[in-house]
Amino acid sequence: MEEQTPEEEQTPFENTPQAPKTPEGSPQENGPAPKSKLFAGALLAVTLVVGLYYLNRYWISPAVRAQTKSDSSHPLAPPFSLTDIAGQPVKLSDYQGKVVVLDFWATWCGPCRIEIPSFIELQKRYAAQGFTMIGISMDDSPEPVVDFYKEFQMNYPVAVGNDRLGELYGGMEGLPTTFLIGRDGRIYAKHMGATDPSVFETEIKELLAVSPAAEVKDFHQAGHIFDEDKVALGDPSVIDSEVPGVDLTKLTADQKEAYKKLLDSKPCTCGCKLTSLKCRQVDRKCGISRKLAQDQLDAFLKPKSSGVTTQ
Amino acid sequence: MRTSRERDLRQMRIFLWGSVLTLLATSVGWAQRNNSVVEAHAVMATDAGHADAPLEIAVLAQVAAGYHINEHKPSLDYLIPTELKVDPGDQFTVKNVVYPKGTLKRFAFSDVPLSVYEGAVVVGALLQVGKAVPAGTYSLKAKFAYQACNDHACLPPSSVPLIVAIRIVPRNVPLKSVESDVFQRIKFE
Repeated sequence: MEEQTPEEEQTPFENTPQAPKTPEGSPQENGPAPKSKLFAGALLAVTLVVGLYYLNRYWISPAVRAQTKSDSSHPLAPPFSLTDIAGQPVKLSDYQGKVVVLDFWATWCGPCRIEIPSFIELQKRYAAQGFTMIGISMDDSPEPVVDFYKEFQMNYPVAVGNDRLGELYGGMEGLPTTFLIGRDGRIYAKHMGATDPSVFETEIKELLAVSPAAEVKDFHQAGHIFDEDKVALGDPSVIDSEVPGVDLTKLTADQKEAYKKLLDSKPCTCGCKLTSLKCRQVDRKCGISRKLAQDQLDAFLKPKSSGVTTQ
Repeated sequence: MRTSRERDLRQMRIFLWGSVLTLLATSVGWAQRNNSVVEAHAVMATDAGHADAPLEIAVLAQVAAGYHINEHKPSLDYLIPTELKVDPGDQFTVKNVVYPKGTLKRFAFSDVPLSVYEGAVVVGALLQVGKAVPAGTYSLKAKFAYQACNDHACLPPSSVPLIVAIRIVPRNVPLKSVESDVFQRIKFE
């Protein structure tokens, strides 16, 4: 059993005021530190760390990011052409010159559904000024979307999207994911998760106020900016690769064929009963076949000196 | 012998490092969390099975903190239910799948409380081994399908593939109960 020191027997209130009265040495120099001071120190340190974390997350990072954004160009929104649930074509290029809020959502997603009434309202309020909402549903089929569209009396185009389109916009890690596109076709903001309608309204107004051709260099995304709100678009050469999601650009034509043959001989372990290649081609969402394909490619590209064969 | 001061300093260091690591973990983005929002594995009630006899398996799923998945019978029509999909193959038949009751919880995105699973989830499956299944080891494939959300966003529907290696032994070989604490919680009736 450990011995208890006299300091430990004192109450924190008895001990704390006495510390300054010992000029010849601090309690640390003279013996064990009082528990109260240790915990006060720990508490202070934790408060400091927590404070710095939130200071960085809510103040410094957004400011730095806004600064960075103002100096760099905003990426062009990947073009798409879909058919909306009313059978009409929805082409992003048709909205050049307009401010667009592109909402990736799904009927099974509660946080997505709660945003829809405010989007309907934004459409009513700003359509005449050169604004439109576009909804891209990530539902598997159009039926629930049609029902939802009627029930909520949606007043803007809604199309059923696909995984490829989601990947072009950087991958839908969570829904809703909403992009704010300027009159110049560039993406100015991304919001992942249900977002306060006032954030969209602020951003829409800012983008509506500028001329169609110019990039808004000093645009500032409204609301808090989280890491997941960073715009990082997908690489079309990877997305549209013969093994979707895997970058084959480093392979020669012969290597590509050999790699595909290898992948076609490896079963996918996701439960699909397909080969890794087939699974990748029919189910882009499958993370297991994606990892298998990437691991096989890494092994394939390893120098032969490492002892790994490439066939 | 370690002094009290050393012990206090050590405790403080552990506390501080723990706090720092917790904060770092909190700051990890969605992308990393996405891949492991639900982890699951399957266990059997016995170390093996007999032909022409029932066999109990359980799927132990763990939903990451801050996330929920919908109950098997969700509160609202539009929600995607949690489901254990068993591929019984030729050796087995599925007699029953037993899901736990969810917990009613309020979320910012719903006017009504939703019945959801959070944390540990145990789903049971009662199988019947075929009459003519010879002794040997068989792979039973299953999928734990779910759709996860947190309070402000949802992840696409997903599933965890499961493979259970089931050993079938002759009738004269006694079976040993395993994982009894798990199976006590499942009512297969």
